[in-house]
Amino acid sequence: MRNRAAGVTPYVFVSPAFVCLLAFGILPIVVAAIVSLTNLDVSGLGDWGKVEFVGLDNYRDLMRDPAFWESLRNTALFVVMGVPVIIGVSLAVAIALNQSQSLFFRALRAFYFLPAVTAIVAIALIWGYLYNTQFGLLNYLLETVGLPRVSWLTEPTVAKFSVALVAIWRATGLNIIILLAAQQDIPKEYYEASAIDGAGKWRQVFSITIPLLRFAIFFVTVTTLIGWMQFFDEPYVLTQGGPSGATTSISLYIYQQGFRFNEFGFASAASLILFVIIFAVTALQVRARRNADE
Amino acid sequence: MRKLVTMAATVALLAGLAACGNSSEPSGTPASLKVWVMGDDGKNFTNLTADFTKETGIKVEVDAIPWANVNEKLTTAVASGQGPDVMQIGLSLLSTFQASGALLDLSPSLGAHPNLKGDNFLDAVAPGKLNPQGKVLSVPWISDTRVLFYRKDLLSEAGFAQPPKTWTELHAYATKLASRGKDKYGYYIPQWDAPLPIQFTWQAGGDVVDKSGKVTLDTPEFRKAVDFYTSFYRQKLVPTAADFDQAQGFISGAAPMLISGPYLAKTIKDQAPELNGKWAVTTLPADKSGTALFAGSNMGVWHKTGNAEAAVKLLDYLSKPATQLKWYQINNELPTVKSALSDPALAADPNVQVYVKQLQDAKLLPVVPAWDKISSKMLDSLNNMVLKGADQTSTLTQLNADVASLQK
Repeated sequence: MRNRAAGVTPYVFVSPAFVCLLAFGILPIVVAAIVSLTNLDVSGLGDWGKVEFVGLDNYRDLMRDPAFWESLRNTALFVVMGVPVIIGVSLAVAIALNQSQSLFFRALRAFYFLPAVTAIVAIALIWGYLYNTQFGLLNYLLETVGLPRVSWLTEPTVAKFSVALVAIWRATGLNIIILLAAQQDIPKEYYEASAIDGAGKWRQVFSITIPLLRFAIFFVTVTTLIGWMQFFDEPYVLTQGGPSGATTSISLYIYQQGFRFNEFGFASAASLILFVIIFAVTALQVRARRNADE
Repeated sequence: MRKLVTMAATVALLAGLAACGNSSEPSGTPASLKVWVMGDDGKNFTNLTADFTKETGIKVEVDAIPWANVNEKLTTAVASGQGPDVMQIGLSLLSTFQASGALLDLSPSLGAHPNLKGDNFLDAVAPGKLNPQGKVLSVPWISDTRVLFYRKDLLSEAGFAQPPKTWTELHAYATKLASRGKDKYGYYIPQWDAPLPIQFTWQAGGDVVDKSGKVTLDTPEFRKAVDFYTSFYRQKLVPTAADFDQAQGFISGAAPMLISGPYLAKTIKDQAPELNGKWAVTTLPADKSGTALFAGSNMGVWHKTGNAEAAVKLLDYLSKPATQLKWYQINNELPTVKSALSDPALAADPNVQVYVKQLQDAKLLPVVPAWDKISSKMLDSLNNMVLKGADQTSTLTQLNADVASLQK
């Protein structure tokens, strides 16, 4: 009798979380998978009779759409540009900020965190003005030193970097705080012991701080990577994916198909592909880390 | 991604729920009508309908929906079955609204409402052009068109006393004006403006809808329009930056001529009152014709409304010439009713006279569901040619293939 109660109790405790996961995590994916096999669009929403099962047609059309491939390539480029830079910069800034607890350093912390809590629309507005070809501050500065203007958001190649820069600037704040907090967990004794052994500041950073931040760095890498594979906000507000698709990420592509053209079936197919990619990449990372730990 | 999947699923789930909750209210004179108007502010519409409420006792509850959210609002309403009684429909979204099945067929009740008679309205929005065969899913409400904005002072400095009247003149003027120096252009092409190349096609004497009702860009007239469009880029008469601000460009004189809607006139008046008298508008420069885009909005009735009769009464009220003129006075949007457009009340402002004249030669974009995708493909193709240097012939061949496959 007691045994059986003990057998049920854990399930009772996990059930709320499990139900939430099922309702908001698994079920939508299943629904999207089903929708991706249909031609659901706005007319189908109003009248179920118009929804037809189309098999893998959406996936086939997707594979044939050059815009889809361009958005995949853009996303890959954003990930390759953004993730290492964010991790490198966040780590460097977090270690530097941890060198002192003075008022100035605490003020700096707030300064670095500011972009993370600023509304994306405000960010887009300000950066839009900085980047503007005609009367932007950046071009004004370039011209005062005699350099030619740059089309920050309107030249296809440059625009990719401009958009990525804003995203990097915006994303570092939160990661800095995470890495900073993780550093404060490192016991002081390690530093004291290494100092007695004659280790300098740099040696301490590379032999103590970074190795002990391993888990935090892993966490930051996984979340940043997932975040960048779902890259959306910055191109959406800064360029709407332009010029001619140069900054359209896969998420933005899905959004445009689903919520601008109302092609829900087609967009579901694309979102399922993105899900599979993210799932695979994350699984690989977890596996790699497990192997590294063993 | 998760968020997108959730959104898609929510829409799907709501749609499922909607099937269960198909309630219809009893008819009779309702206490109130719920109206969706597009834009940021519903106050003016509430003021407009005060007299309607006085006459009929029907209250009007106005919900203002920002233009950017209209599509989302519509899909949610369609999926949930919960909508307003009456809604404003921007003409660019008309085909989406029609395809969604969210609009009630008004043809049975039109007979009793003389103000809604089809030939009261401008020819561009005659019922046959707005609706699928045999139905009336919405009625015209306000009109909007495109005209040529030009800087009188800069044109006369360049030796042009009159605005350009033909394509040839437009191009010649632009060439002269662009030679004023660095960062000075002759003309401005908004890279997001899908109607512009279509207007050029109409002006070249063509159409983008074939006899079977399908959109086609595979015509000599469209190719002529593309030539004309790209010539401004080839000869560097227009800015290439997509973030070139048309209002600022016009005010500063960098772009002394451009085609835009009446909304730009308001921006110029607000931002640069000192330019008063130095700029004007005129009807579009013509090739074979000077046809412009007919934009604007319709009004439609939600298919599940329990208040159809009152809703049509409101539409009838809105189509009265007096109401249409009052709306122009309080919200600056032009009538669609012919007799209101010829009213002397509109004659005071010379700009408005030009709009009214241009409306006589204005045309709707194709009202087909694939249009959004086609026009965005078309803009991508044009931008690829003029910004990335893509080959014109092969780009257009690909575009025609895409257009065909989008309408399978």
